[in-house]
Amino acid sequence: MTVEEIRELINLAAETGIAELEVQRGDNRVRIRRAAFATQQEFVLAPQSYPAPMAAPSPAPVTPSASPSHEPPKEKPSDPTQVLVKSPIVGTFYEGPAPGAPPFVQVGSRVQPGQVLCIIESMKLMNEIESETAGIVEAKLVMNGQPVEYGEALFAVRTV
Amino acid sequence: MTPLDLEHIRAEFPERPIDYYPSLDSTMHAAPGRPPGSVVVAGEQTAGQGRHGHSWHSEAGAGLYCSLVLEPAPVLTLALGLATQSAILDSTGITCDLRWPNDVMLGGKKLAGILVQLVDGRAIAGIGINLNQTEFGEELAGLATSLRMSTGQEACPTRILIALLRAVDNFITEDRDSILRLFAHGSSYAVGRRVTVDQPGGAITGTTAGLDPSGFLIVRKDDGTDTLILAGGVRAAGS
Repeated sequence: MTVEEIRELINLAAETGIAELEVQRGDNRVRIRRAAFATQQEFVLAPQSYPAPMAAPSPAPVTPSASPSHEPPKEKPSDPTQVLVKSPIVGTFYEGPAPGAPPFVQVGSRVQPGQVLCIIESMKLMNEIESETAGIVEAKLVMNGQPVEYGEALFAVRTV
Repeated sequence: MTPLDLEHIRAEFPERPIDYYPSLDSTMHAAPGRPPGSVVVAGEQTAGQGRHGHSWHSEAGAGLYCSLVLEPAPVLTLALGLATQSAILDSTGITCDLRWPNDVMLGGKKLAGILVQLVDGRAIAGIGINLNQTEFGEELAGLATSLRMSTGQEACPTRILIALLRAVDNFITEDRDSILRLFAHGSSYAVGRRVTVDQPGGAITGTTAGLDPSGFLIVRKDDGTDTLILAGGVRAAGS
Protein backbone atom coordinates (compact mmCIF):
# COMPACT_ATOMS: atom_id res chain seq x y z
CA MET A 1 0.00 0.00 0.00
CA THR A 2 1.47 3.40 -0.99
CA VAL A 3 1.64 6.58 1.08
CA GLU A 4 -0.73 8.17 -1.42
CA GLU A 5 -3.27 5.40 -0.88
CA ILE A 6 -2.99 5.81 2.87
CA ARG A 7 -3.48 9.56 2.49
CA GLU A 8 -6.66 8.90 0.51
CA LEU A 9 -7.94 6.65 3.26
CA ILE A 10 -7.22 9.36 5.87
CA ASN A 11 -9.19 11.83 3.77
CA LEU A 12 -12.01 9.31 3.40
CA ALA A 13 -12.16 8.83 7.16
CA ALA A 14 -12.24 12.59 7.70
CA GLU A 15 -14.91 13.17 5.05
CA THR A 16 -17.25 10.46 6.27
CA GLY A 17 -16.77 11.26 9.93
CA ILE A 18 -16.24 7.65 10.92
CA ALA A 19 -14.21 6.92 14.02
CA GLU A 20 -12.05 4.17 12.68
CA LEU A 21 -11.26 2.69 9.30
CA GLU A 22 -9.41 -0.52 8.63
CA VAL A 23 -8.52 -1.68 5.15
CA GLN A 24 -6.60 -4.72 4.03
CA ARG A 25 -4.98 -5.03 0.63
CA GLY A 26 -2.94 -8.13 0.00
CA ASP A 27 -0.55 -8.57 2.90
CA ASN A 28 -0.92 -5.01 4.15
CA ARG A 29 -3.47 -3.72 6.58
CA VAL A 30 -3.90 -0.14 7.65
CA ARG A 31 -6.08 1.10 10.49
CA ILE A 32 -6.88 4.78 10.79
CA ARG A 33 -8.43 6.06 14.00
CA ARG A 34 -9.51 9.70 14.05
CA ALA A 35 -7.98 11.94 16.72
CA ALA A 36 -11.41 12.96 18.01
CA PHE A 37 -11.96 9.39 19.08
CA ALA A 38 -8.52 8.41 20.28
CA THR A 39 -5.68 9.90 22.22
CA GLN A 40 -3.60 10.01 19.08
CA GLN A 41 -3.90 9.08 15.47
CA GLU A 42 -2.70 5.56 14.97
CA PHE A 43 -1.49 3.93 11.82
CA VAL A 44 -0.92 0.22 11.85
CA LEU A 45 0.66 -1.42 8.85
CA ALA A 46 1.13 -5.08 9.52
CA PRO A 47 1.50 -8.32 7.63
CA GLN A 48 -1.70 -10.27 7.17
CA SER A 49 -2.49 -12.35 10.19
CA TYR A 50 -4.91 -15.19 10.61
CA PRO A 51 -8.35 -14.23 11.76
CA ALA A 52 -9.59 -15.36 15.14
CA PRO A 53 -11.61 -18.51 15.52
CA MET A 54 -15.31 -18.42 16.20
CA ALA A 55 -15.97 -17.39 19.77
CA ALA A 56 -14.08 -20.05 21.70
CA PRO A 57 -10.35 -19.51 22.15
CA SER A 58 -7.95 -21.92 20.52
CA PRO A 59 -5.05 -23.43 22.42
CA ALA A 60 -2.24 -22.21 20.21
CA PRO A 61 -1.50 -20.74 16.81
CA VAL A 62 -1.03 -23.45 14.22
CA THR A 63 1.74 -21.76 12.33
CA PRO A 64 4.51 -19.35 13.21
CA SER A 65 2.82 -16.55 11.34
CA ALA A 66 -0.53 -17.11 12.95
CA SER A 67 -1.57 -14.55 15.53
CA PRO A 68 -5.18 -15.13 16.42
CA SER A 69 -6.97 -12.75 18.70
CA HIS A 70 -9.94 -13.91 20.69
CA GLU A 71 -11.68 -10.71 21.59
CA PRO A 72 -13.51 -8.40 19.26
CA PRO A 73 -11.51 -5.26 18.49
CA LYS A 74 -12.10 -2.65 21.15
CA GLU A 75 -13.99 0.29 19.75
CA LYS A 76 -13.56 3.73 21.27
CA PRO A 77 -16.77 5.47 22.27
CA SER A 78 -17.88 7.29 19.18
CA ASP A 79 -20.70 9.36 17.81
CA PRO A 80 -23.84 7.93 19.45
CA THR A 81 -25.79 8.32 16.22
CA GLN A 82 -23.32 6.08 14.40
CA VAL A 83 -23.55 2.28 14.68
CA LEU A 84 -20.76 -0.06 13.65
CA VAL A 85 -22.13 -3.32 12.28
CA LYS A 86 -19.70 -6.06 13.32
CA SER A 87 -19.12 -9.59 12.14
CA PRO A 88 -20.40 -12.23 14.58
CA ILE A 89 -18.11 -14.90 13.14
CA VAL A 90 -14.79 -15.39 11.37
CA GLY A 91 -15.40 -15.77 7.66
CA THR A 92 -15.48 -14.28 4.21
CA PHE A 93 -17.42 -11.06 3.53
CA TYR A 94 -19.80 -11.01 0.58
CA GLU A 95 -21.48 -7.73 -0.34
CA GLY A 96 -24.11 -9.44 -2.53
CA PRO A 97 -26.11 -12.67 -2.72
CA ALA A 98 -23.99 -14.09 -5.56
CA PRO A 99 -20.82 -13.22 -7.50
CA GLY A 100 -21.64 -10.40 -9.89
CA ALA A 101 -24.99 -9.68 -8.26
CA PRO A 102 -25.67 -6.13 -7.06
CA PRO A 103 -24.60 -5.51 -3.46
CA PHE A 104 -27.26 -5.66 -0.76
CA VAL A 105 -26.44 -2.05 0.20
CA GLN A 106 -24.07 0.70 -0.86
CA VAL A 107 -22.67 3.77 0.87
CA GLY A 108 -25.62 6.15 1.01
CA SER A 109 -28.26 3.39 1.10
CA ARG A 110 -31.09 3.91 3.55
CA VAL A 111 -31.61 0.75 5.63
CA GLN A 112 -34.31 -0.53 7.94
CA PRO A 113 -34.06 -2.87 10.94
CA GLY A 114 -33.83 -6.45 9.71
CA GLN A 115 -32.59 -5.47 6.25
CA VAL A 116 -29.78 -7.69 5.00
CA LEU A 117 -26.48 -5.81 4.67
CA CYS A 118 -24.10 -8.61 3.65
CA ILE A 119 -23.29 -12.28 4.04
CA ILE A 120 -20.43 -13.75 6.08
CA GLU A 121 -19.51 -17.27 5.00
CA SER A 122 -17.64 -19.56 7.34
CA MET A 123 -17.00 -23.13 6.17
CA LYS A 124 -20.12 -23.03 3.95
CA LEU A 125 -22.24 -21.67 6.74
CA MET A 126 -23.90 -18.57 5.31
CA ASN A 127 -24.78 -15.90 7.85
CA GLU A 128 -26.84 -12.98 6.60
CA ILE A 129 -25.98 -9.88 8.60
CA GLU A 130 -28.96 -7.63 9.18
CA SER A 131 -29.13 -4.01 10.21
CA GLU A 132 -30.34 -3.59 13.77
CA THR A 133 -31.26 0.01 13.25
CA ALA A 134 -32.83 2.37 10.74
CA GLY A 135 -30.26 4.62 9.16
CA ILE A 136 -28.01 5.45 6.26
CA VAL A 137 -24.93 3.44 5.37
CA GLU A 138 -22.03 5.83 5.80
CA ALA A 139 -19.14 3.51 5.12
CA LYS A 140 -18.45 0.01 3.96
CA LEU A 141 -15.33 -0.99 5.83
CA VAL A 142 -14.28 -4.22 4.11
CA MET A 143 -13.89 -5.33 0.52
CA ASN A 144 -16.01 -7.95 -1.19
CA GLY A 145 -14.46 -11.41 -0.71
CA GLN A 146 -12.19 -10.25 2.10
CA PRO A 147 -11.65 -12.38 5.22
CA VAL A 148 -13.05 -10.80 8.37
CA GLU A 149 -12.37 -11.43 12.02
CA TYR A 150 -14.79 -12.02 14.84
CA GLY A 151 -16.03 -8.59 15.93
CA GLU A 152 -14.56 -6.75 12.95
CA ALA A 153 -16.55 -3.69 11.87
CA LEU A 154 -18.22 -4.19 8.49
CA PHE A 155 -20.36 -1.09 8.03
CA ALA A 156 -20.87 2.28 9.69
CA VAL A 157 -24.55 3.19 9.78
CA ARG A 158 -25.78 6.66 10.77
CA THR A 159 -29.03 6.25 12.67
CA VAL A 160 -31.95 8.42 11.69
CA MET B 1 -36.94 -44.79 -8.63
CA THR B 2 -38.15 -46.21 -5.35
CA PRO B 3 -40.67 -43.74 -3.94
CA LEU B 4 -39.96 -42.19 -0.56
CA ASP B 5 -41.78 -44.25 2.09
CA LEU B 6 -42.88 -41.43 4.38
CA GLU B 7 -44.84 -43.70 6.71
CA HIS B 8 -41.73 -45.76 7.37
CA ILE B 9 -39.56 -42.68 7.89
CA ARG B 10 -42.03 -41.05 10.27
CA ALA B 11 -42.32 -44.29 12.24
CA GLU B 12 -38.54 -44.26 12.73
CA PHE B 13 -38.62 -40.65 14.00
CA PRO B 14 -42.00 -40.19 15.72
CA GLU B 15 -40.95 -36.97 17.46
CA ARG B 16 -39.81 -35.32 14.29
CA PRO B 17 -41.99 -33.17 11.99
CA ILE B 18 -41.20 -34.52 8.51
CA ASP B 19 -42.91 -32.89 5.54
CA TYR B 20 -42.66 -33.98 1.94
CA TYR B 21 -43.49 -31.84 -1.08
CA PRO B 22 -43.52 -33.25 -4.63
CA SER B 23 -42.06 -29.98 -5.90
CA LEU B 24 -40.54 -26.93 -4.20
CA ASP B 25 -38.43 -24.04 -5.43
CA SER B 26 -35.97 -24.88 -2.63
CA THR B 27 -36.25 -26.75 0.65
CA MET B 28 -34.10 -23.90 2.06
CA HIS B 29 -37.05 -21.56 1.59
CA ALA B 30 -39.60 -23.92 3.15
CA ALA B 31 -37.65 -24.91 6.29
CA PRO B 32 -37.15 -21.60 8.19
CA GLY B 33 -39.69 -20.94 10.92
CA ARG B 34 -40.20 -24.62 11.72
CA PRO B 35 -39.14 -26.05 15.11
CA PRO B 36 -35.70 -27.65 15.61
CA GLY B 37 -35.67 -31.24 14.39
CA SER B 38 -38.01 -30.51 11.49
CA VAL B 39 -37.25 -32.01 8.11
CA VAL B 40 -38.46 -30.74 4.74
CA VAL B 41 -38.05 -33.08 1.76
CA ALA B 42 -38.82 -32.31 -1.87
CA GLY B 43 -39.30 -34.65 -4.80
CA GLU B 44 -37.76 -31.99 -6.98
CA GLN B 45 -36.46 -28.47 -6.58
CA THR B 46 -37.06 -25.91 -9.29
CA ALA B 47 -34.44 -23.56 -7.85
CA GLY B 48 -32.15 -25.73 -5.71
CA GLN B 49 -29.56 -23.63 -3.93
CA GLY B 50 -25.83 -24.10 -3.73
CA ARG B 51 -23.12 -22.07 -2.05
CA HIS B 52 -23.20 -18.29 -2.58
CA GLY B 53 -25.45 -18.04 -5.58
CA HIS B 54 -24.64 -21.43 -7.08
CA SER B 55 -27.53 -23.72 -7.98
CA TRP B 56 -28.05 -27.38 -7.06
CA HIS B 57 -29.15 -29.73 -9.84
CA SER B 58 -32.43 -31.20 -8.53
CA GLU B 59 -33.92 -33.50 -11.15
CA ALA B 60 -37.36 -34.82 -10.22
CA GLY B 61 -37.24 -38.13 -8.37
CA ALA B 62 -33.53 -38.65 -8.95
CA GLY B 63 -31.99 -37.29 -5.78
CA LEU B 64 -32.60 -36.72 -2.10
CA TYR B 65 -33.28 -33.03 -1.50
CA CYS B 66 -33.91 -32.06 2.11
CA SER B 67 -33.44 -29.32 4.69
CA LEU B 68 -33.10 -29.91 8.43
CA VAL B 69 -33.76 -27.34 11.14
CA LEU B 70 -30.96 -27.55 13.71
CA GLU B 71 -29.49 -25.61 16.60
CA PRO B 72 -26.31 -23.78 15.56
CA ALA B 73 -23.12 -25.41 16.82
CA PRO B 74 -19.36 -25.03 16.29
CA VAL B 75 -18.04 -26.88 13.23
CA LEU B 76 -21.63 -27.84 12.39
CA THR B 77 -20.89 -27.86 8.67
CA LEU B 78 -18.02 -30.31 9.16
CA ALA B 79 -20.26 -32.52 11.32
CA LEU B 80 -22.94 -32.58 8.63
CA GLY B 81 -20.43 -33.68 5.99
CA LEU B 82 -19.27 -36.50 8.26
CA ALA B 83 -22.89 -37.47 8.94
CA THR B 84 -23.69 -37.65 5.24
CA GLN B 85 -20.57 -39.71 4.55
CA SER B 86 -21.51 -42.05 7.40
CA ALA B 87 -25.13 -42.37 6.24
CA ILE B 88 -24.06 -43.38 2.74
CA LEU B 89 -21.69 -45.97 4.16
CA ASP B 90 -24.32 -47.34 6.54
CA SER B 91 -27.06 -47.56 3.90
CA THR B 92 -25.07 -48.64 0.83
CA GLY B 93 -21.67 -49.86 1.99
CA ILE B 94 -19.96 -47.23 -0.16
CA THR B 95 -17.10 -45.23 1.34
CA CYS B 96 -16.97 -41.63 0.14
CA ASP B 97 -14.33 -38.95 0.56
CA LEU B 98 -14.91 -35.51 2.06
CA ARG B 99 -13.62 -32.38 0.37
CA TRP B 100 -13.25 -29.61 2.94
CA PRO B 101 -15.46 -28.45 4.41
CA ASN B 102 -18.23 -30.91 3.55
CA ASP B 103 -18.53 -31.89 -0.12
CA VAL B 104 -19.13 -35.63 -0.31
CA MET B 105 -17.02 -37.04 -3.14
CA LEU B 106 -17.05 -40.37 -4.94
CA GLY B 107 -14.49 -41.22 -7.60
CA GLY B 108 -13.29 -37.61 -7.57
CA LYS B 109 -16.75 -36.27 -8.38
CA LYS B 110 -19.33 -34.64 -6.17
CA LEU B 111 -22.00 -36.97 -4.85
CA ALA B 112 -23.60 -34.78 -2.21
CA GLY B 113 -23.53 -31.13 -1.23
CA ILE B 114 -24.38 -29.36 1.99
CA LEU B 115 -25.24 -25.74 2.61
CA VAL B 116 -26.11 -24.19 5.97
CA GLN B 117 -27.83 -20.86 6.46
CA LEU B 118 -28.38 -19.16 9.80
CA VAL B 119 -31.96 -17.88 9.93
CA ASP B 120 -33.49 -16.35 13.07
CA GLY B 121 -31.06 -18.16 15.34
CA ARG B 122 -31.56 -21.57 13.74
CA ALA B 123 -29.23 -23.43 11.39
CA ILE B 124 -31.06 -24.49 8.24
CA ALA B 125 -29.03 -27.36 6.76
CA GLY B 126 -29.70 -28.16 3.13
CA ILE B 127 -28.42 -31.57 2.04
CA GLY B 128 -28.59 -32.81 -1.53
CA ILE B 129 -27.50 -36.35 -2.42
CA ASN B 130 -27.35 -37.58 -6.01
CA LEU B 131 -28.98 -41.01 -5.96
CA ASN B 132 -30.34 -42.30 -9.24
CA GLN B 133 -29.35 -39.82 -11.91
CA THR B 134 -28.09 -41.70 -14.95
CA GLU B 135 -26.35 -38.70 -16.48
CA PHE B 136 -25.65 -35.05 -15.91
CA GLY B 137 -25.62 -32.22 -18.40
CA GLU B 138 -22.44 -31.11 -20.10
CA GLU B 139 -21.76 -28.48 -17.46
CA LEU B 140 -21.76 -31.01 -14.59
CA ALA B 141 -20.63 -34.17 -16.36
CA GLY B 142 -17.02 -33.95 -15.18
CA LEU B 143 -17.92 -32.71 -11.72
CA ALA B 144 -20.91 -34.69 -10.45
CA THR B 145 -21.81 -38.33 -9.98
CA SER B 146 -24.68 -40.32 -8.49
CA LEU B 147 -24.77 -43.54 -6.51
CA ARG B 148 -26.38 -45.27 -9.46
CA MET B 149 -23.75 -44.04 -11.91
CA SER B 150 -20.99 -45.23 -9.58
CA THR B 151 -22.45 -48.58 -8.61
CA GLY B 152 -24.89 -49.44 -11.39
CA GLN B 153 -27.51 -50.15 -8.76
CA GLU B 154 -30.60 -48.21 -7.82
CA ALA B 155 -30.33 -46.40 -4.50
CA CYS B 156 -33.21 -46.42 -2.00
CA PRO B 157 -34.01 -42.85 -0.86
CA THR B 158 -36.00 -44.05 2.16
CA ARG B 159 -33.12 -46.08 3.53
CA ILE B 160 -30.65 -43.26 2.90
CA LEU B 161 -32.84 -40.57 4.49
CA ILE B 162 -33.35 -42.69 7.62
CA ALA B 163 -29.59 -43.29 7.84
CA LEU B 164 -28.95 -39.58 7.27
CA LEU B 165 -31.27 -38.41 10.05
CA ARG B 166 -29.76 -40.94 12.47
CA ALA B 167 -26.22 -39.93 11.52
CA VAL B 168 -26.96 -36.20 11.85
CA ASP B 169 -28.36 -36.79 15.35
CA ASN B 170 -25.19 -38.69 16.27
CA PHE B 171 -22.62 -36.31 14.79
CA ILE B 172 -24.07 -32.98 15.92
CA THR B 173 -23.71 -34.05 19.54
CA GLU B 174 -19.96 -34.64 19.14
CA ASP B 175 -17.68 -31.94 20.50
CA ARG B 176 -15.43 -29.85 18.31
CA ASP B 177 -12.24 -31.82 18.93
CA SER B 178 -13.96 -35.11 18.08
CA ILE B 179 -15.32 -33.69 14.84
CA LEU B 180 -11.87 -32.39 13.86
CA ARG B 181 -10.34 -35.81 14.57
CA LEU B 182 -13.07 -37.59 12.62
CA PHE B 183 -12.65 -35.24 9.69
CA ALA B 184 -8.88 -35.74 9.65
CA HIS B 185 -9.52 -39.49 9.60
CA GLY B 186 -12.27 -39.42 6.99
CA SER B 187 -11.03 -36.88 4.45
CA SER B 188 -8.15 -37.19 2.01
CA TYR B 189 -8.26 -33.40 1.80
CA ALA B 190 -7.23 -32.82 5.41
CA VAL B 191 -3.47 -33.32 5.01
CA GLY B 192 -1.04 -33.69 2.11
CA ARG B 193 -3.49 -33.04 -0.72
CA ARG B 194 -2.59 -30.71 -3.60
CA VAL B 195 -5.43 -28.24 -3.93
CA THR B 196 -6.38 -25.04 -5.67
CA VAL B 197 -8.52 -22.57 -3.75
CA ASP B 198 -10.34 -19.56 -5.12
CA GLN B 199 -9.39 -16.52 -3.06
CA PRO B 200 -10.23 -12.83 -3.37
CA GLY B 201 -6.83 -11.99 -4.89
CA GLY B 202 -6.91 -14.99 -7.25
CA ALA B 203 -6.66 -18.73 -6.91
CA ILE B 204 -3.84 -20.19 -4.81
CA THR B 205 -2.35 -23.65 -5.12
CA GLY B 206 -0.67 -25.56 -2.33
CA THR B 207 -0.75 -28.63 -0.16
CA THR B 208 -3.22 -29.07 2.67
CA ALA B 209 -1.61 -29.06 6.11
CA GLY B 210 -4.47 -29.97 8.44
CA LEU B 211 -7.18 -28.00 10.15
CA ASP B 212 -6.64 -25.25 12.68
CA PRO B 213 -8.36 -25.59 16.08
CA SER B 214 -11.46 -23.87 14.72
CA GLY B 215 -11.76 -26.25 11.77
CA PHE B 216 -10.45 -23.94 9.05
CA LEU B 217 -8.26 -25.56 6.41
CA ILE B 218 -4.54 -24.72 6.30
CA VAL B 219 -3.04 -24.65 2.81
CA ARG B 220 0.75 -24.50 2.59
CA LYS B 221 1.92 -22.82 -0.58
CA ASP B 222 5.10 -23.89 -2.31
CA ASP B 223 6.96 -20.89 -0.88
CA GLY B 224 6.30 -22.32 2.60
CA THR B 225 3.73 -19.74 3.66
CA ASP B 226 0.38 -20.85 5.05
CA THR B 227 -3.04 -19.54 4.15
CA LEU B 228 -6.09 -20.25 6.25
CA ILE B 229 -9.12 -21.07 4.12
CA LEU B 230 -12.31 -19.70 5.69
CA ALA B 231 -14.95 -20.44 3.07
CA GLY B 232 -15.35 -23.03 0.34
CA GLY B 233 -13.92 -23.10 -3.16
CA VAL B 234 -11.39 -25.90 -2.55
CA ARG B 235 -10.74 -28.29 -5.43
CA ALA B 236 -8.12 -30.84 -6.29
CA ALA B 237 -5.21 -29.15 -8.06
CA GLY B 238 -5.34 -29.66 -11.80
CA SER B 239 -9.05 -30.46 -11.82
